[in-house]
Amino acid sequence: MTLAPLRAAARSHRQRPVGLAPTESPVDGAVLVLHDVTKAYPNGNVALRDVDLVVPEGDFVFLVGPSGAGKSTLIKLIIRDEIATTGAVILDGQDLARLARRQVPKVRRKIGIIFQDFKLLPTKTVRENVAFALEVTGTPSREIGPAVDRVLALVGLTAQARQLPGTLSGGEQQRTAIARALVHDPRMIIADEPTGNLDPLISWEILQLLLRINELGVTVLMATHNAEIVTALRKRVVALEDGRIIRDEEAAAYHRED
Amino acid sequence: MISFVVFSLRRAWQGFWRNAVMSLAATATMVFMLLLLSGFFVVLTGLNAGLEFVEQKVEIVADVKDGAPTLAIEAVQARVAAMPEVASVEYVNATEALRRFQERLKQQGREDLTTALDKNPLPGSLQVKLKDPKVFGNVVESLRADPSIERVQEVKNLIDRVLTVTNLLRTGGVLVLALVGIVVLFIIVNTIRLAVVARAEEIEIMRLVGASDAFIRWPFIFEGALVGLIGAAITLGLLALGAEPLGRVMTGFFEVLPLQLGALGRDLTIIVVATGVGLGVLGSWVSVRSYLLK
Ligand SMILES: Nc1ncnc2c1ncn2[C@@H]1O[C@H](COP(=O)(O)OP(=O)(O)O)[C@@H](O)[C@H]1O
Ligand SMILES: [Mg+2]
Repeated sequence: MTLAPLRAAARSHRQRPVGLAPTESPVDGAVLVLHDVTKAYPNGNVALRDVDLVVPEGDFVFLVGPSGAGKSTLIKLIIRDEIATTGAVILDGQDLARLARRQVPKVRRKIGIIFQDFKLLPTKTVRENVAFALEVTGTPSREIGPAVDRVLALVGLTAQARQLPGTLSGGEQQRTAIARALVHDPRMIIADEPTGNLDPLISWEILQLLLRINELGVTVLMATHNAEIVTALRKRVVALEDGRIIRDEEAAAYHRED
Repeated sequence: MISFVVFSLRRAWQGFWRNAVMSLAATATMVFMLLLLSGFFVVLTGLNAGLEFVEQKVEIVADVKDGAPTLAIEAVQARVAAMPEVASVEYVNATEALRRFQERLKQQGREDLTTALDKNPLPGSLQVKLKDPKVFGNVVESLRADPSIERVQEVKNLIDRVLTVTNLLRTGGVLVLALVGIVVLFIIVNTIRLAVVARAEEIEIMRLVGASDAFIRWPFIFEGALVGLIGAAITLGLLALGAEPLGRVMTGFFEVLPLQLGALGRDLTIIVVATGVGLGVLGSWVSVRSYLLK
């Protein structure tokens, strides 16, 4: 209910993306604002052109498009793994291009990141993999145990806590990665093709989980080319092609419908 | 802060054993290099002691005129001994000179032909030791000018030649040691780099979940220090085992040298530990740096 005005603001902005100057304050309540973003890789590949995007707090966004459209590049800009060539990427009010290098870790803790290949450490148990994210960011050890238990319960892996990733199914491994992404209490979850390695049934399970997390108030941005899921869920869809946003619609399907 | 250090140390320890093969390879390389370094150090120290020994032997020998009065000789001796460049002056009279000569012949097992002579052919001499073999002042000139001195042996050229050789050997030794040091550093850095590359995935995850550079770097630094420390301990252990039999072989050689084995052992321990830990830390620092630059 409370999100409605923000969404309206975001929509109206999207219809008129050119007017926003870089100095103007980002749309109120937006977790993420991209303005006029271009990304050219050092080898000359231009992966993103003139991208404008506003993601309000609590939104659920599917980022779709064919392979090579620029989805992963967009995600890398948001987690500041890459830096925009021109334009501004503003996460939670901070311009990532102007961020001092030593501020980057702090910003990354506001985001939970999930990948297609899970990126779990094979020699650590489920519990240790999740706890790792807190240990390496200097969380006091007495806080780590309860936080890990809480997210493991949320993703339904309490029983598997002592198992190694190698003994888990793909879906369980991805849920471990989601637990790790959540354990910091992030403002936003970013997932790059999280169901790309999973069969359809398990993919649905992962989507159920992401939807629940979104209901808890966490903004979700998910890159995918799973058309069935996107079309069925009727969420906001941002479509990329050749580095440009060609469509940005609420309650949309994977393909253009009009 | 304390929890950070504990975290880093614990991770270093875990890292060392989780990648046991890689860590042991790095440690083995470290031991090999430290042994090489120790070997060079011992040889260089021995060489240096030998050179000092030779340098100390160098002295100016002034033959005394036959029949010069003892009083005059004592006067020259006192005058030369008072010169600032001179460490000591010893008067060896003709009889003593003959005795020393005969002794040397006997030591070398050669036939003593001097008994066939009816008269002592050797002159008495003043043997002057310099404080610094390179600084003559005008000791030689002063001796030559004295009426009771027959001649001063041309030792200056000899001294120059000996000093040239010893300096060359010293410089060469230090150069070789520096070269070995550079090779060691290169090999260690590369071995540790392999260990770090094996953990690239872990570093990537740490960066993605928002670990600060310190949390990524220090466990590796401590791990490098651990490799160095273990390597140094093993090296010192091997050296201790090898010191006894090796020492027995070399005693004959070392006995004549003013070499203090206690000091050598202490220096070697310091050098091995410092080099091991230093190389380990430096290797880790360089290896992990490239991952943090982005
Ligand atoms: N590191 C890189 N260096 C150069 N070009 C890259 C790099 N990463 C991606 N690209 C290029 O950028 C474009 C977009 O890639 P990407 O963002 O991975 O697309 P997607 O995730 O939608 O498949 C592609 O043309 C790709 O070749
Ligand atoms: Mg991609």
